[in-house]
Amino acid sequence: MSEMEVGYMKKIKNKLNVNRRNFLSGTAALAGLAATASVVPITISNANHKEGTKGLPNFISWKNRDALIVHSDKGIETHRSAIGESLITPNRNVYIRNNMPTMSDSQIGDKNSWEVSIEGVKNPKTFSLAQLKKLGHTTIATILQCSGNGRGYFEHKVRGSQWKTGAAACVIWTGVPVKAVVDACGGIRSEAVFMTSAGVDHVPTGLAPKKAMVERSVPKKVYLDAILAWEMNGVPLPNAHGGPLRMVTPGYFGINNVKHLGKVAFTTKESAVKYMKTSYRISPIGKKGPQYPSCWEMPVKSWITRPTDETGTVKAGKVQIVGVAMGGTRKVRSVKVSVDGGKSWKRARFVGPDLGKFAWRQFALETTLSSGTYNIASLASNGPDKQPKLRMENRRGYAHNGWMDHSVNITVV
Amino acid sequence: MKISKFLLIILFSFTIYIQNLSADDAKMLKGLEIFNETAGCAACHILKAAGSEGNVGPNLDTVSLTVESVKEMVTYGLGVMPAYGEEGILTKEEIDIVSFYVANSAGK
Repeated sequence: MSEMEVGYMKKIKNKLNVNRRNFLSGTAALAGLAATASVVPITISNANHKEGTKGLPNFISWKNRDALIVHSDKGIETHRSAIGESLITPNRNVYIRNNMPTMSDSQIGDKNSWEVSIEGVKNPKTFSLAQLKKLGHTTIATILQCSGNGRGYFEHKVRGSQWKTGAAACVIWTGVPVKAVVDACGGIRSEAVFMTSAGVDHVPTGLAPKKAMVERSVPKKVYLDAILAWEMNGVPLPNAHGGPLRMVTPGYFGINNVKHLGKVAFTTKESAVKYMKTSYRISPIGKKGPQYPSCWEMPVKSWITRPTDETGTVKAGKVQIVGVAMGGTRKVRSVKVSVDGGKSWKRARFVGPDLGKFAWRQFALETTLSSGTYNIASLASNGPDKQPKLRMENRRGYAHNGWMDHSVNITVV
Repeated sequence: MKISKFLLIILFSFTIYIQNLSADDAKMLKGLEIFNETAGCAACHILKAAGSEGNVGPNLDTVSLTVESVKEMVTYGLGVMPAYGEEGILTKEEIDIVSFYVANSAGK
């Protein structure tokens, strides 16, 4: 590996706090394998979905069409101004990103009888959803964000949905702590290094598990925060979001929050399926392979949700600049706002309740604007890390948190 | 004289048009065959023109695509979609043809 590449990987590691041990073991074990890194669906910025009610695919006909940008029937983004101004993103507005087709009611069957097996523990067991509900109960707020959120700002040719800000949502989940489930199985086997979760949504497709199964490994420590969720924003977890049971890995990118969960295993190695081994790897442009870091921890990030170019021109005078800020796996500490493209910054105040370090905070800055054009940007910090000005260039357009690309241009009249 | 020259030009243009049309038609037919059989795209994509009902990848009737964007996707793959070019599953010529077919059939 060249010095430049080593430097690049260090940069990625610093930015994403990738677990060094896993990263290095991955390099040793998997180097040399041909890889076809990538994920997300098709690149269609000019999608023209016509099927189903309101122009939405039938499996999500209950969603709010006006809040959504349809890239394809498998990739649907929330408008910048529709992620919710009450902290939580309403289910009807939450984005859709599917690697496998959403399972139907008939494929799922009786939801209380849905089963998940727990392996890599002292006493491996299989629990039904009804049994899980007896093991423990908790509610947490987390950010669900696609690894490719912000891909639409990259200038090199990146395949995959051209998300801007809307492959993200703040969601309240209810379920059982993974720790409670593990305790009911006698604890994790001591040699385990990863928590590996697998979905079963590939089964109806008949495709080979190694190619199609969504099985994701994350560092074992994540189990202390993770929950197995059956409720989303106060309603039973919709099939389109992985119902009836989903792994929730707070602070980690969406792909690790495995839908239609069928297995949780504490493993010594990362999963060998394509979605772990070669997809979702953050590599330099022109490079790919399993030796590069996986999309795990989300970096600190923020963006403006009002006013935006989507909401039209702004009337001169007093203006509320509103947005959301997230700290990744740490609590977000501060947000600054600029109305002059980053030349000067003012500290915004957080508004609304603090739902914990894995949720985003809403922020607001009241200011007065006279007629003219403005570039409005936000810059969040979680203490040790703050948003960089520029994006981290990478092959697949992952983990973008640069503040400049996420800024908005508005006209005040 | 002038009229016959004019008719000749018309006839020549028409012949070229027909030839092109036939070439494109042949490409579309071959593309359909690759889509449904050689590459098996039909197993994973809905495309009315091909009569396919696969539901793993995006519904191609709902998207607008260019030949270039399809070519890129088919060559390098994405997620569960194989890299038909990189992995040598299809020849370059087959990729050109199936991309032409999909771009001209999708989003209709």
